[in-house]
Amino acid sequence: MTIFRTSLYARVTIMLGALLIAGALSIGVAAWQYAIVAADEAYDRLLSGAAFQIAESIRIEEGKLIVDPPVSVFDTLALSRGDRIFYKVTNAEGTLLTGYETLRLPEKTPPPGAEPVLGNAVFSREPVRWVSVGRYISEPNLEGWASVVVAQTRQARDLLAFDLTLKAIGILALMSLLALAMVMITVRAALAPLHAIGEAIDRRAYNDLTPLSLEVPREIAPLAAGLNHFMQRLSDRLTILKRFIADAAHQIRTPLAALSSQVDLLAHERDPEKQKQSVGRLQDVVDRLGRLVNQLLDHAMVIHRSESVVGAPVDLVALTRHALRDAIPMAADDSDLNVMFESQQQAITVIGDSVSLREAIVNLINNAVTHGGGRMLLVRVLQDATATRVEVIDDGNGIPPEKWTDMLQPFQSGKKSVDQDKDRRGSGLGLAIVQDVARAHHGEVQFESRTGLGFVATLVLPGEPSPSDASLR
Amino acid sequence: MKVPGNPERLSTGPRLLAGARVTVAAIALLLSVQQTWSQYTLFPAPASEKARILIEAATDLVALEPMVRDFQLVAPDVTIEYVEYVTNDLFAKASAQCARNELGADLFLSSSVDQLVKLANDGCGSRYRSAATDLVPATAKWRDEVFGFTAEPAALVYNRDVVPKEDVPHTRTELLDLLRRKSSLYAGHIGSYDIAQSGIGFLLASADSRHSSLYGRLIESFGRIGLVTRCCTADIINDIESGRVAIGYNLLASYALGAQRRGARIGVILLRDYTVVLSRGAMIPRTARDPSTARRFLEYLLSMRGQHLAREVGLIFNPAEMRELESTQKSPSGAEILRPIVIGPGLLAEQDQAKRARFLAEWYRSIAPTP
Repeated sequence: MTIFRTSLYARVTIMLGALLIAGALSIGVAAWQYAIVAADEAYDRLLSGAAFQIAESIRIEEGKLIVDPPVSVFDTLALSRGDRIFYKVTNAEGTLLTGYETLRLPEKTPPPGAEPVLGNAVFSREPVRWVSVGRYISEPNLEGWASVVVAQTRQARDLLAFDLTLKAIGILALMSLLALAMVMITVRAALAPLHAIGEAIDRRAYNDLTPLSLEVPREIAPLAAGLNHFMQRLSDRLTILKRFIADAAHQIRTPLAALSSQVDLLAHERDPEKQKQSVGRLQDVVDRLGRLVNQLLDHAMVIHRSESVVGAPVDLVALTRHALRDAIPMAADDSDLNVMFESQQQAITVIGDSVSLREAIVNLINNAVTHGGGRMLLVRVLQDATATRVEVIDDGNGIPPEKWTDMLQPFQSGKKSVDQDKDRRGSGLGLAIVQDVARAHHGEVQFESRTGLGFVATLVLPGEPSPSDASLR
Repeated sequence: MKVPGNPERLSTGPRLLAGARVTVAAIALLLSVQQTWSQYTLFPAPASEKARILIEAATDLVALEPMVRDFQLVAPDVTIEYVEYVTNDLFAKASAQCARNELGADLFLSSSVDQLVKLANDGCGSRYRSAATDLVPATAKWRDEVFGFTAEPAALVYNRDVVPKEDVPHTRTELLDLLRRKSSLYAGHIGSYDIAQSGIGFLLASADSRHSSLYGRLIESFGRIGLVTRCCTADIINDIESGRVAIGYNLLASYALGAQRRGARIGVILLRDYTVVLSRGAMIPRTARDPSTARRFLEYLLSMRGQHLAREVGLIFNPAEMRELESTQKSPSGAEILRPIVIGPGLLAEQDQAKRARFLAEWYRSIAPTP
């Protein structure tokens, strides 16, 4: 039954075929039952008619009860040609007038009356249908119900019932086959849009990610919408990537030009003092370039991991503490910086990618150290019913609210190029990395200026991701 | 008598000389009504015997002997015992045998086919179906148990020397008219079956009562002129041949034509108002000792070869030959006057006790049977 699993067409056809066969069988059984009843009804009339005719022929002649079954009785019953005929006529005392002495009715049969009584029995090794009617004799001495029983074998009835059933089943089979054929054609037609979508996608140029413009039935619309949505995301991602590469190229080109001019300067400088200055500046440019490249790689790594790594339980408290320890030595120049760490609980577990999360937290801290006031840094891990939050608070002026969105885009940190902002050693990628990690964890990055406290940058992770959301895709 | 290939004939009952069957029958009837007449004939297998069947028949051997012998050409390893009875005796014997459920005859042949139908209705028959039986018309078989294998019209037979041509009746009305006009001349010289003894006679009389409104007048008329009644067709034909009986009514044409071929000065008339056609019936009883050999014989009777021979010996009447029977000068076509007796449950009417008793009583009231 692999075809059943692999082919929708086969699935629908087999299921419907089975349904039709089951339907045909049950209707066939019903038809057989009905046909038996119908055949019995038809032949019962003949049988009763014959019994009435015999009863009619009972009369009194010379003080004796006599019966003279008309020939027409036999001719009527002979209409069902292959059937044997048994009959018995008795007077009120049960004495045989004519017919089969041995023909007896079942025990519980009511005594003969004007109304015919019908039943089934076995006589002379064959199943028979019998009818019993009475004729009341009011002559003195003979008073009472004379009884007429006529029985006939069932061959003609069974033949008629069989014939009726066969015809019903024949029509049924024809209808079922037609229905099945219609279903097969319909299913094929219904599945055609899927082929059309496949072909439309196949025919496309490699870089064509515009939405499909096919007319599809309502039932397939979600698939087409999903495909379009997917392509939209792919297109968006591609745009971001293109911009990122252009930006990265631009960002690297500037320090490289600076590097080149410094090296050029150094090559022509003869004054040792100026040479020394030049080497120092060279050192700065190389350092910045190194950091830029590192962050580019970090960003790439975060993007890669967000698409490929499956989430696992992570203790966010320990993770943040380690991140803080790693990040501060990098910013240890500011010796008067007061670093604080707070956590509500000993451990707060979230489902996520520890490497990405650590990278995000490090970048948040670096951002605070780089852009903060330089005297205070507070890192807090909080958890409430809906979310887990990592807050990084510095005493700087913060980012103006109108630039909060821009800040999360790569190379947008205050529209300052590396060259223009020599003191501030941001690469322009840190918050973008945080944003990517937050998105991968279905969370977000929030900014807030709190009077009396400072500027708060928060990584918000949704509280309890359900198991199916554990994947970080 | 014991020439190889010739049948040995022995009579049971009063042992008398073989061949004197008519006398035997008459004497047997005189001696006792209970005494049954029968005649035993053995047809030894021409080759070494491998099977043996007992045929009990109410149909005279003379008519059937060619077929028995022809069968033995096809099946030389089969010995056939052929016992002939009067129709009613055969019926009584077969009924009793069936009721007792004891093994016996392998095949019944009877010209009184209503009796075979009654036996089949009583569950005494056994079914047989083959390509040959399928060719038998539906009106000439019942339940694949009773098969008609001949088609013989009931004819009016007269002695050409006794009955002048202008007296020969061609319809029942003409017959009635003749009996009325020349009653003194024909009194005591009209013959037919004793329907109490002869199953065929009963069946044909019953058919008359069904087909003709003249039936009552006919038997009344027969009674008035003193009908000569006989048990068997051959007896009446003999009487006609000898001139004792001038006109025989309702006689199987096959016998009459046989006698005619032998040179008897008799005429055979198919009455133009209607002519009943009778089939002799064959049935393999449920109690057959060797049903498979019986089937071989039945198969032969119904086969092309058997039917062809039956036609040749006059057991199957060909309507095309009717003109030769000087009956149809004024009749449009043969088929219209023929009334075949349908082999089927309708014949059970003939076997109803009450009906039968009434019918016989009515007949007896009109006709005092002659010995």
